[in-house]
Amino acid sequence: MLRYILIRLAIWIPSVLLIVLGVYALAFYGTGDPIKLIFLRAPGDVAYDPVRIEAIRESAGLNRPFIVQFGNYLWNVLHGDFGNSLLSGRSVWSMISAAAPVSFQLGVLAILLAAVTAIPLGMIAGLKQNTRLDYAILGSALFLWSIPAYVAGPVLMVLLLVVLPSSSVPYGWGGVFDLRIILPLIVLSFQPIALTVRQTRAAVIEVLSEDFVRTARAKGVPEIMVALRHILRPVLTPIVTQLGLIMIMLVNGAIFVELVFGLPGLGRLTVSALLNSDYPLILAITIIGSFLVMASNLLVDVLYPLLDPRATHMRRAQ
Amino acid sequence: MSDMALKQEDVRGEPPVNLWRDAWYRLKQNRMALTSLVIILALAFIAVFGPWLTPYDFLSQDLIARNQPPTWAHPFGTDELGRDVLSRVIYGTRTAFIVAISVTAVATLIGIVLGALAGYFGGLFDRFVMWFTDMTMSVPQLLLVVVINASLKPPLARWMEAQYLETLNPIYRNSIIIDFVLVFGSMALITWPPYARLVRAQVLSVRNRPYVTAARALGLSTPVIIARYIVPNALGPLIVAVSAGLGTAMVLESAFSFLGIGVNPPMPSWGNMIADGLRVWRNYPHLLLAPAMMLALATVAFSFLGDGLNDALNPKGQK
Repeated sequence: MLRYILIRLAIWIPSVLLIVLGVYALAFYGTGDPIKLIFLRAPGDVAYDPVRIEAIRESAGLNRPFIVQFGNYLWNVLHGDFGNSLLSGRSVWSMISAAAPVSFQLGVLAILLAAVTAIPLGMIAGLKQNTRLDYAILGSALFLWSIPAYVAGPVLMVLLLVVLPSSSVPYGWGGVFDLRIILPLIVLSFQPIALTVRQTRAAVIEVLSEDFVRTARAKGVPEIMVALRHILRPVLTPIVTQLGLIMIMLVNGAIFVELVFGLPGLGRLTVSALLNSDYPLILAITIIGSFLVMASNLLVDVLYPLLDPRATHMRRAQ
Repeated sequence: MSDMALKQEDVRGEPPVNLWRDAWYRLKQNRMALTSLVIILALAFIAVFGPWLTPYDFLSQDLIARNQPPTWAHPFGTDELGRDVLSRVIYGTRTAFIVAISVTAVATLIGIVLGALAGYFGGLFDRFVMWFTDMTMSVPQLLLVVVINASLKPPLARWMEAQYLETLNPIYRNSIIIDFVLVFGSMALITWPPYARLVRAQVLSVRNRPYVTAARALGLSTPVIIARYIVPNALGPLIVAVSAGLGTAMVLESAFSFLGIGVNPPMPSWGNMIADGLRVWRNYPHLLLAPAMMLALATVAFSFLGDGLNDALNPKGQK
C-alpha cells in the first residue's frame, strides 16, 4: 500500500511541475516583460527611458535566463508568494485568499447537493432500467448536462422576474445561510448532477448482475434492503473516481456562476484578471486550479484501493 | 456470405445487415435523437443562408426603436442600439457553426494523427503522448484558454501590425482575424485530447486483428494500413465523439465570447449577446432570452443527437 502511494506520488509530482512550467512558459514568452507591462501602463516618460528600464529589470532579476527565473518563481510559489498584481499592486496571494472561501463554500455545497440528489436518482434509473422513469431521469440529466451555466443562470433569474418584483431577484453574496445562494448553487451543480446520475445508473446496472445480489434476493431480502445494503456500497466506488472531473466542472462553472450572480469568488477574480491582462494573477489562478484538479485525481488514486481492495491486487497480478 | 444475409433477411424482414443501415434503423427509433437531428439541420440551414434570411442587417441601427420588446416588425425585439435581435441571432448562428466546425475539424485531425500514431507504434512514444493527453485534460479548460489567449494575443497582434506596416495590406488590420485565429487555435488546443484517446483505443483494439496482419504480410506500408484499415474501423465511435464535440465547441465559443475573449463586437455571437443582455436583464429580459434560448436549443440538440448516435453506432457499448 505504501509503495503504491509512493509510486503514484512519483508520477504525480513531475506532472504538476510540468503544468506549472508550461503555463509559466506561455506567460513568459507570450506576454513579454512584466516591467515593460507595468511601465507602459504608467503615465510619464519612464516607458521611453531604456536605461532606467534596464536598471529596474536588472534589480528585479528579469535579465536572468528563463530557467533561473522559473526556478525562482517556483521557489516563491512553494512559499505561498505568487508575486504582486499588476493592476492593484496587492499581493496575489492575499487577493486569492480573500476570494477563495466564497468559491470553496459554493463548491462543497454543490458537491453535497449533487451527491444527495444524483445518487438516489441514478439508483432509481438503474433499478428501473429501460422504463419510462429511467428514460425521464436520463433525459433530464442529459438536458442539465448540455445547458451552459451562463444560459441556465440568467434564464432562471428572468423566470423569477415573473413571480418576484425585479429588485428582489437574488444577486450577490451573503454567505452560506443567505437565500441568495440557492440559484447559483443549483446552476453550479447541474453538470455534476448529470454526470453522477449517469455514472450511478451505469454502476447499478453492472452490480445488478453480480452473484451477491442474486443471492440476497434468493434468500428473500426485501428489494429496498438489497438496494441499500448490497448495491449502494459497490456503486459508490466508481462515483468517487469522478471527483477529478467534477472538480474541473466546478472550477469552470465557478467562472460563469460567479459572474452571472455577482459573487466575489475566484471565478470573478479570474475574469477581471483576464480582462485587465493581470498576468501574475492569471498565472496563479491557473496553477491553483490545475493543482486542485490534479490533487483530486491523486486523492482518488490513493483512496481507490481502500474502497475496492481488488484494485491493488489486480495491479500486482498484472 | 450472401447465404447468411439471405437468412437474416428471412428472419427479420429487413434488408441485409450493414453497419450504417443498421445504425440508421436504430437512430430512427429514437425520437429525441431524430428531433435533434431536424433541429440541427434547421440551424445549419439558418447558418448557411443567414444573409438571405435576416430581415435587417445585423449592424443597422434604428436609434428611434431602441430596446423594443418583440413586435411584428422585430419578432425578437431590438437591442440598446436599435439593432434587430432576430437578425443578430441569425448571424450568431453563423458564427457558432463556423467556429464549431473549424475547431472540431482541427481538433479531430490532431487527435486522429496523435492517437493513431500512439496506438500503432506503442512503446515510449505512446506513453509520452498519453501522458501529455492526460495532463492537458487535467488543466481546467477555461483556465488553459485564458492563459493561451492572454499570452498569444499580444505577439499575434504585434506580428499582424508588423505585417501591415510592411505590406500595407489592410487585411492585417482586421481585428476579426486575430479573434478567429486565437479562438480557433486555443479551442483546438484544448479539445483534441478526447479524440486522441478514442482513436488510440480503437487502434489498439484492431491493431492485432488478422486483416491487419494480412495487410502487413501483403507488404502495404504503415500509412496505408492506418488510413485504409484502421481509421475506417474507428469511424463509428469517432462520429459519436465529433457530434458531441460540435456541441462542446459551440458552447466553448459562446463561453469565450460571453467572457469577452472570443469573437468581439460588432460581430454577433450568442455568447456576447448573452453578456450584453445580462447587463440589462431586469428591464429588457428579451435581449437575454433570445440568444440564450438559441444556444440552449443547439447544445441540447447536439447532446441528444450524440447520445442517439452512440446507441445506434455502438450497440455493444456500455449503456
